[in-house]
Amino acid sequence: MTANQQSNEGHTVKHRHRTEGPEKHIIVFIFSIILTAIAFAAVAAGGVNPAFTIILLLVMAILQVFVQMGYWMHLKDKGHLMPIVFMIGGFFVASTCIIMALFWVWW
Amino acid sequence: MAHAHAHSHSVKRYSGLMDWLTTVDHKKIGILYLIAGGLFFGIGGIEAILIRLQLIKPMNDLVSAQVFNELITMHGTTMIFLGVMPVIFALMNAVVPLQIGARDVAFPFLNSLGFWTFLFGGLLLNLSWIMGGAPDAGWTSYTPLSTTEYSSTHGVDFYTIGLQIAGLGTLIGGINFLATIITMRAPGMSFMRMPMFTWTSFITSAMILFAFPAITVGLVLLSFDRLLGANFFDVAAGGSPVLWQHIFWIFGHPEVYILILPAFGIISEVIPTFSRKRLFGYSSMVFATILIAFLGFMVWAHHMFTTGLGPVANALFAIATMLIAVPTGIKIFNWLFTMWGGQIRFTSANLFAIGFVPTFVMGGVTGVMLASAPADFQFHDTYFVVAHFHYVIVGGLVFGLFSGLHYWWPKMFGRMLNEPLGKWTFWTFAIGFHLTFFVQHFLGLLGMQRRIVSYLPNQNFDTLNFISTIGAILMGVGVLLFLANVVVTARKPSGVANDPWEDGRTLEWSIPSPPPEYNFKQIPLVRGLDAFWKEKMAGNKEMTPSEPLGPIHMPSPSILPFVMSLGLFIAGLGFMFSTEEFSNSFMSLIFNKYIVMIVGLVITFAAMIARSVFDDHGYHIETEELEGEGKA
Repeated sequence: MTANQQSNEGHTVKHRHRTEGPEKHIIVFIFSIILTAIAFAAVAAGGVNPAFTIILLLVMAILQVFVQMGYWMHLKDKGHLMPIVFMIGGFFVASTCIIMALFWVWW
Repeated sequence: MAHAHAHSHSVKRYSGLMDWLTTVDHKKIGILYLIAGGLFFGIGGIEAILIRLQLIKPMNDLVSAQVFNELITMHGTTMIFLGVMPVIFALMNAVVPLQIGARDVAFPFLNSLGFWTFLFGGLLLNLSWIMGGAPDAGWTSYTPLSTTEYSSTHGVDFYTIGLQIAGLGTLIGGINFLATIITMRAPGMSFMRMPMFTWTSFITSAMILFAFPAITVGLVLLSFDRLLGANFFDVAAGGSPVLWQHIFWIFGHPEVYILILPAFGIISEVIPTFSRKRLFGYSSMVFATILIAFLGFMVWAHHMFTTGLGPVANALFAIATMLIAVPTGIKIFNWLFTMWGGQIRFTSANLFAIGFVPTFVMGGVTGVMLASAPADFQFHDTYFVVAHFHYVIVGGLVFGLFSGLHYWWPKMFGRMLNEPLGKWTFWTFAIGFHLTFFVQHFLGLLGMQRRIVSYLPNQNFDTLNFISTIGAILMGVGVLLFLANVVVTARKPSGVANDPWEDGRTLEWSIPSPPPEYNFKQIPLVRGLDAFWKEKMAGNKEMTPSEPLGPIHMPSPSILPFVMSLGLFIAGLGFMFSTEEFSNSFMSLIFNKYIVMIVGLVITFAAMIARSVFDDHGYHIETEELEGEGKA
C-alpha cells in the first residue's frame, strides 16, 4: 500500500523520519495499563459504593480514549488536522444516532 | 517504500479483457464504472417504463401486483445504488485526479476493489429476477413488510446482501477520494483553489464515510432477522420496526445529498466554462456545500413525520429541513450570477446545466413544502412525493450527469460527442421529464398514492397518468439518443485537442485527451483558482511544471480485487440460501451447512493474504520513455 500511496510523488518524496524516541511511547503504554488496572481493581475490590465505581470507570475510560487517540492515533502530532476533523464529524454523526435510539426507540 | 531505482522493470502489462479486469488506472476504472452504471441505469429505466405502462390506464393488468411491487423496489434500488452512484464515481474517477494535478488516486488497488465489489453486489441484487423473485418491500425496505413474515421469497435477502457488498465498494471509493484529495493536490493547490467539482466530490466522499456505516448496520440487522432468526425489528419479541426507519434514513437522507452534491459540482464547472467567466461566489459555494452536508445529517426524521415522533421533534426537523433551502439558494443565485453578463455558449453540456437550474429549483420548492410537517401529513405517500424526488434526482442529478458526460467525454475518450444529437438528447429528455413528473404533483394532490399497482377510473387520475406515461417513453427515447450518440462518436477517430472546448479553466484541460496513463509528465504548479485559465490569461500555452522531468512510479495491475469481490459474491449467495429447504440433497449439503459461504470467504481472505504477503512495489516509467513520446 505504501508503494501506491507515494505513486504521485514518485522519486522526489522526502522521507520524514520521526526523531521522537520510543521512551514516550513506553511511558504512555505503562500509563494505559495502569488506567486499565485501576478499572479492573475497582470492580474486583467490590464493597465500595457501586455508583462510585461506575463514575471511576467512566473517568478511566475517558482518560483512556484521550491517551489512545492522542498518542497511538497520533492526533497530538502536527499535520493531523484532517483526521481530527473527520473524527469529530464521525463523533457528531454517531451521537445523533445514539440520541435517536435513546429518545425515540427505547424511551 | 519505493526506493529510487531499487527495482527496475518487472512491468506486468495485460491486454484485452485481462487489462480491464486487472487495471488500477483511475481513468480505466472510471470507464468501467460508466459502463456498469450505464448497464444498471438501463435496467432501472426499463423497470421505470414498465411501471409507467402498467399505470397508463385505470385497472390495467400488464403486470401482476407482485411483479409491480418488485418493479418499483428494483427501480428505486437499482437507480440509486447501482445506476447514478457508479456514474458519479465514473466522473469522479475520470476527473478528480486530473483536476488536482495527481497521477492517480491515493490507493489505486482499493479503487479497483471498490469497483469490483460494487459490480458484484449489483449483479447479485439483479440475479434476484431469475432466482425466485426480486425484492418487493420498496427501496426503503421498511420492516415489518420486509421481514420473512410478509416477504417470504429471497427477494429482500438479495437486497440486504447485494447492497451490503455494493455498499462496501462505495465506502472504499469514498475513503479513497478523501485520501486522494487531502494528500495528493499539486503544489500550490490549496483547498480554496480546488475546482468546485473536486470540492463537491470531497464533501460527498466525507458524507459517504459517515452515512454508509448506518446502512451497513441496518442491513446486517435486517439480514440477521431474516436469516438467523434475530428480533431487532420484531415487535412481538421486543424489537422495533421504527428502529429500521431511523437507521435507514440516518443513511438515506445524507445519501440524497451524496447524490446531488457532485451534480452541483458538475454544474459549477460547466456553467463558468461556457459563460467564459469565473464561478460567481466561489467561497460561498464551498461554504454552502459544507453546510448542506452538515445539515443533511440532521434532517432524516422528516421522512418519518407520520410515525408519531411528536410535535416537538416534527417542528425541529421541519425547521432544520427548511434551513437547507438557504445554502441551496446561495448556489442557485451563484449560478445565475455566473451566467449574468457571460458569453454563454449553448452546447449540449451547457443546455443540461442551464436546464438543471430551474428544474432543480422546482424540486427544491416542493421539498420545502414537504418539510412543513402538518402539510406533509397530506402529501405523505402520495404521488406528490414521487414528483418531488424525481425532480431533484432526475431533474437535478441526472441532468447534471448528462451535462458532465457531454462536457468530459472528450477528456475521457478523446472524441467529442455529436452536438446536434446531444441537443436532441437534451430536448427529448427534458420535455419527457417534465411531462412525466410535472403532472404527478397534481396526481398526488388529488390523492393518488405511491406504490399502487392500479387505480379505479373516473377519479381524475386517468388523463394525468396517460400524459405521465407518454413522458416516460419520451425520456426513454432521450436516453436511446444518447446511446446512439455514444455509438456514433465511438466510430470517429480519436484525438481531440487538449482543451477541446477552448475555454477550459481547470487542470484536466492542460493535458492530452485522453490523458497518458501517468496523466502529468511533470506535476504542474498551481498559481490560483482556475489554474489553467490563469496560465492562459498570462499568455502561457501550458502549465508551469513544479518538478523536473523524472521517472514516474506506477502501480502494478492486479487481479486480486476481482477475486476478492468474486469471493464475497459467492459467500453472499451461500449465506442467503443457507435457510432454504432444498429437495436435492447435494444442494442442501453445500448450502445449509454453509459450505458455499465458507468457500466464498476463503477465496476473499486468500486474496487478502496474497495481497498482504507478496509486496508489489509497482514499476517506473523512465525519463527516456517519457521523452520518446514527444509532445503526445
